[in-house]
Amino acid sequence: MSAPILQTQDLGRRFGGLRAVADVSFAVPEGQVLGIIGPNGAGKSTLINLITGHVKPSGGRVLIDGRDMTGAPPWAVAQAGVARTFQIVKPFRGMSVRENVAIGILYRRHGVNVMSHALRAADEVLEEVGIADLGDRPPGELPVADARRLELAKALALRPRLLLLDEVMAGLRHSEIEPSLQLIRTLRERGITIIVVEHVMKAIVAVSDRILVLHQGQVLTSGAPREVLTDRRVIEAYLGQRYAQRRGETPDAPG
Amino acid sequence: MATSTQAPRQAVTPTSRRDQARRALPWLLGLVALLGALGLQSQLYSGQERTVTTIFMFVAMAEAWNLIGGFAGYASFGQVVFFGLGGYFTAVAMSQWHLTFWVSLVLSGIVGALFATVIGIPLLRLRGHYFAIATLGVAEGMREVVINLPGLTGGGAGITVPTVGRDATTPYLGNDGFYLLFLALAALSVLIAGLVSRSKFGYGLRAIHQDEDAAAAMGINTTRLKVLTFALSGFIVGLVGSSYAFQQVTIFPERLFDVDITVLMVIMVVIGGSGTVLGPLLGAVVLQFVSEFLRQHFINLHIFILGAIIIVAVLLLPQGAVNYLREARRTGEYSLLANVRRYRL
Repeated sequence: MSAPILQTQDLGRRFGGLRAVADVSFAVPEGQVLGIIGPNGAGKSTLINLITGHVKPSGGRVLIDGRDMTGAPPWAVAQAGVARTFQIVKPFRGMSVRENVAIGILYRRHGVNVMSHALRAADEVLEEVGIADLGDRPPGELPVADARRLELAKALALRPRLLLLDEVMAGLRHSEIEPSLQLIRTLRERGITIIVVEHVMKAIVAVSDRILVLHQGQVLTSGAPREVLTDRRVIEAYLGQRYAQRRGETPDAPG
Repeated sequence: MATSTQAPRQAVTPTSRRDQARRALPWLLGLVALLGALGLQSQLYSGQERTVTTIFMFVAMAEAWNLIGGFAGYASFGQVVFFGLGGYFTAVAMSQWHLTFWVSLVLSGIVGALFATVIGIPLLRLRGHYFAIATLGVAEGMREVVINLPGLTGGGAGITVPTVGRDATTPYLGNDGFYLLFLALAALSVLIAGLVSRSKFGYGLRAIHQDEDAAAAMGINTTRLKVLTFALSGFIVGLVGSSYAFQQVTIFPERLFDVDITVLMVIMVVIGGSGTVLGPLLGAVVLQFVSEFLRQHFINLHIFILGAIIIVAVLLLPQGAVNYLREARRTGEYSLLANVRRYRL
């Protein structure tokens, strides 16, 4: 059996006295969709940043395809086939939507060298995420949902094998969430391994094969979505002890 | 196969031909400008010729500053250090090592690029104001070093390039020669900026300018790209400094490391439009021209008036003339007041 596409070992990061992420160990086999949930401040975004090299770990290791990439710069991680979106979208202003996507096509591993070719390839990626008609627009003018699609298109331009989605559905309306979920399923069918960090619980349950729960920087539990959501500790962490107690009295209550 | 490629080709040809025409236009305009500058030479008397030569010099330096400050967004306030190094390297090489000017010129460019690489690796980790102040410090420090090495540089008394007699390794070029030399440097720098602007390299720099974390997440080796750009910029400014030293014959540290030269590069780029090819060219030409005009007509007040003009220009067109025109054409909003509002609020 080949090495998991991503593996972390005792990964941690301190900010001063605060342990934002502590001793997190998990592995993602190729082709899986892993959901990461946790209350605000649980360390979800920091964990993503530790994997991509945007934040240097203060302990532990990150292995990509079994290769030690701990503390590697973000561009090296990106070229190793790991793409990400940012929770707060980071479009390149002053460039068109199409040019934004072309950047990834130029600079990915074995990327193209000619801008006009990259622009043509960028249109295909825009088509894929459903904003083909917005290629000429400046990214600052896009509404939230389209801005998030652009963020996703930029990540897909790298032809990733592992895709880290940091709250791509935050701020979306109900009607906009279903197409996003559909897109994630399509990407998964194409063989892309995906880590979804999300607050929208319903969304994460719908697409994840496995869910990892972070709480105060540590792994609280992980497992199949159903098991995790009925786990008493998870409910406590999310909704408080009193809610968990009340729920405990009626164990069949729907999640 | 033949039938499947025919249909799309018919559809593609008209647009790609228009694309080709649009892409060729800047090169054609550049060529026309170059020929125009060559033709202009015979129409100028020597004072005017020297003024235009200075304009060419600043075009080259503004374009060079724009690579690191405009495209990559790293505002170097010590760019004059490459000018001074190039100038002093050439003066020392010609007077003490008896190298020809042309060899010294190329070596000065390389010295500029190497020095930019050496200081760029640590300094380009700093962002924003920190980078600006650090580069300023390097330039000021280098001037003191040059002053304090009188054995090599002549110290504060200056150094003279041999231009006559047996010591002259290269005959003095004269007004006409320097006009052509600086025109060539200006053309070279505009050409480099034009090539960078449309290339993978240039788009990488724009991405770094906008958001360095996002750029790195797209696979861009930000450190390498920034250092390369700084080196390229240092190379061009080194060439300019070398040519200036030869033109001036005797050079002094105060002039060769004068912070005003850096400030002029910055102002020209900001007024013309940073991150564009045409902006620094336009800024350098207009500012030098206006400055010269004012000097001739308002001897006592010219600095004061020039300052006022610069302030008004920056207030009204904070993004620079070329960027303003581009946005105005796209949005159909030409009002300067609306422009001020967009950038000030």
